[in-house]
Amino acid sequence: MGQHARFRRLSATAVGKHAVLIALSFLAVFPFYWMIVTSFKPETDIFGSSLLPAHWTFQNYVQAWTAIPMSRMMANSLLTAAAQTVMQLLTSILAAYAFTRWQFRGSNLIFTLIALTWLVPFQVIMIPNYVVISGWGLRDTLMGLIIPNIASAFAVMQLYAAFKSFPKALIEAAHLDGASDWAVLWKMIFPNLRASIASIAVLLFITGWNDYFWPLLVTTKLEHSTLQIGLQMFMSSDSNLWGPLMAATTVASLPILVIYLLLQRQIIESFVKGGLR
Amino acid sequence: MTRKTGWTAALLTLTMIATAACDKTAAETNGEAAGAGGDASETGTATSAASASSSGDKITIKLYSYNLATVGQKEGTQQLIDEFEAAHPNIHVEGIPVASTDINAKVQADIAAGSPPDVAQLVFDGLDYAVNNFGAKPLEDIVPADELAKNFEGFSPNGLKLGQLNGKTYGLPFTFSTPVLFYNAKLFKDAGLNPDQGPATWAELKQDGLQIKEKTKAAGFHITGAVGADWIVQSLIGSNGGQVLSDDRKTLRFGEPEAVGAIQMWQDLVQSGAHDKLNDTEAFEAFTQGKTAMVLTSSAVQNMLLGAAKAGGWELKASAMPSFDGKPTAPVNSGSALFILSGDKAKQQAAWEFLKFATSERGYTIITSKIGYLPLRPAIVDDPQYLKDWVEANPLVKPNLEQLSRLQPWVSYPGPSWYQIETTLLEAVQKSIASAGDITPIMQDAQNRAQALMP
Repeated sequence: MGQHARFRRLSATAVGKHAVLIALSFLAVFPFYWMIVTSFKPETDIFGSSLLPAHWTFQNYVQAWTAIPMSRMMANSLLTAAAQTVMQLLTSILAAYAFTRWQFRGSNLIFTLIALTWLVPFQVIMIPNYVVISGWGLRDTLMGLIIPNIASAFAVMQLYAAFKSFPKALIEAAHLDGASDWAVLWKMIFPNLRASIASIAVLLFITGWNDYFWPLLVTTKLEHSTLQIGLQMFMSSDSNLWGPLMAATTVASLPILVIYLLLQRQIIESFVKGGLR
Repeated sequence: MTRKTGWTAALLTLTMIATAACDKTAAETNGEAAGAGGDASETGTATSAASASSSGDKITIKLYSYNLATVGQKEGTQQLIDEFEAAHPNIHVEGIPVASTDINAKVQADIAAGSPPDVAQLVFDGLDYAVNNFGAKPLEDIVPADELAKNFEGFSPNGLKLGQLNGKTYGLPFTFSTPVLFYNAKLFKDAGLNPDQGPATWAELKQDGLQIKEKTKAAGFHITGAVGADWIVQSLIGSNGGQVLSDDRKTLRFGEPEAVGAIQMWQDLVQSGAHDKLNDTEAFEAFTQGKTAMVLTSSAVQNMLLGAAKAGGWELKASAMPSFDGKPTAPVNSGSALFILSGDKAKQQAAWEFLKFATSERGYTIITSKIGYLPLRPAIVDDPQYLKDWVEANPLVKPNLEQLSRLQPWVSYPGPSWYQIETTLLEAVQKSIASAGDITPIMQDAQNRAQALMP
């Protein structure tokens, strides 16, 4: 009987926990659902509260596609975000390895300086960055979008934490066997920390993908800009074109969704390991 | 080896820090130069223009426009540019879309980089900043007096004041509205009110709002503009005989009795239940769904509201902004003006040609009928060559046109903290209309805090 009571108590806790989780996931998923449903609603139903469109329409997608150079902007966004992610990972993996592998004079100071740059808001550095990029003649180019973002303090800090958890003894053993630092980094540490790196990559990609202000400064033509600038075209200070805006936003969130699905296993693994906060 | 790598990293970091510091210095220097009258940018553009004019006769002017950055207004604005280019084959207007909320930041960055746009469409509340920090050029310095006078024949005298500061004309009014009272004629009828006439005074509006709430269960009324920009707040304060800023532009006055009285009226509407308790976006949604009877807002939303009314089976009507008993209203404009920022003479002339066209009879015809704003040449409204047919087909624009005779300029606050002053006022208004007690301390406190931000 005692066992029975405990079982009942346990299941009550489990039910409670699940109820909370279901409520939380509903909160997370519902706006996403509402965006998609709204994108299929005709203009007259946009402000209606029905959970499904009374009449399904693709008009919003057609309008979104014709109003802005969607495919071109999407390609720009993909290229920029992907290039930034790859470069940021590369620079921060090298930096994180250096910080974990060697304790040199001033290494703490340098690490602190890098960490401090993370606290500097973009608004403070945007004009100096813009002046440099303009001076290099990179305005209105993809290079101009990418170059100021090839290093990320956030990624260095996260990867440093992950690299530190890697057993030092293993690295030293590899060195005794004659392995170079390059080999240790790419053949030993990298494959073992793939989960953490993948989850950081997703976060970096999302940051790059969502960037609005830098593309706004650097580009002048819509064809040279990113999708986030395109989304703004459906909004004005007076009113928003909700239907096409939701259609364009749905399209804009697809790549993130795809990447998340592709890297889902690694991300969950990394969360389970507690490597990411 | 460890040591060597360490030194390399340290050197790299130092270089990065040094570069960042240099960048900052460069930006500051440029910023100062631009602030001091745009000397640095003038030299930059003069060189580029000289090379452009020597390579060919065609002059290109770079135009930043937020109407180009809005899907619903892009086409009309592009038509304006296209027609101008067709009439002026030697001038090319490179239209660059920038959202209205970001346009000042982009201009600022471009000035720092030494390449400001030649013409920028800037919101009126930034007029003082555009003049003193962006180096906007007064038309009086660019255009001979007789040509300027000739061009302004037929121009609304009130309208011309909108872009003036210290007696000089810096901006030509481009796209703007005045506060219009849109109402749902069906709800008026259902509540037993006259659907052909909106309330003329705030007292009447309060009564109508309460009657509508009681008889139809719809909400009575909503004033937009307690968030974002303060042109409607300025309209209310001005209509009650108040001011936000003294005439000598030195003292803020929105904590004084007339201004407080205007906001008290708004608070009373909310407290009595005649005004809803929604935010602007929610109120718009409610209005489009036929759940709110009246809304005071910009005419720019008119087409959207017409579509919603048609879909929802109710009739949209419009009337002028209600008045405080016995006092004439002082409608303040929203929107933007075109400013010439170029320091190059040839580009300034080309820009002037564009400004002239945009504010010509034909220009305002496009602006009114295709983009959704107001003409500042009153005569074209009755001219069959321009807007006569359009106004007859779109009678809702009439109250807005009538208000032009009482139009007051949207006051821009001086100094680099102008936007914070505007925000301080708006936050005080939000707090006031949501509170139940005496709002005088709230408004006075805001005035004192904002006064400290004045130059």
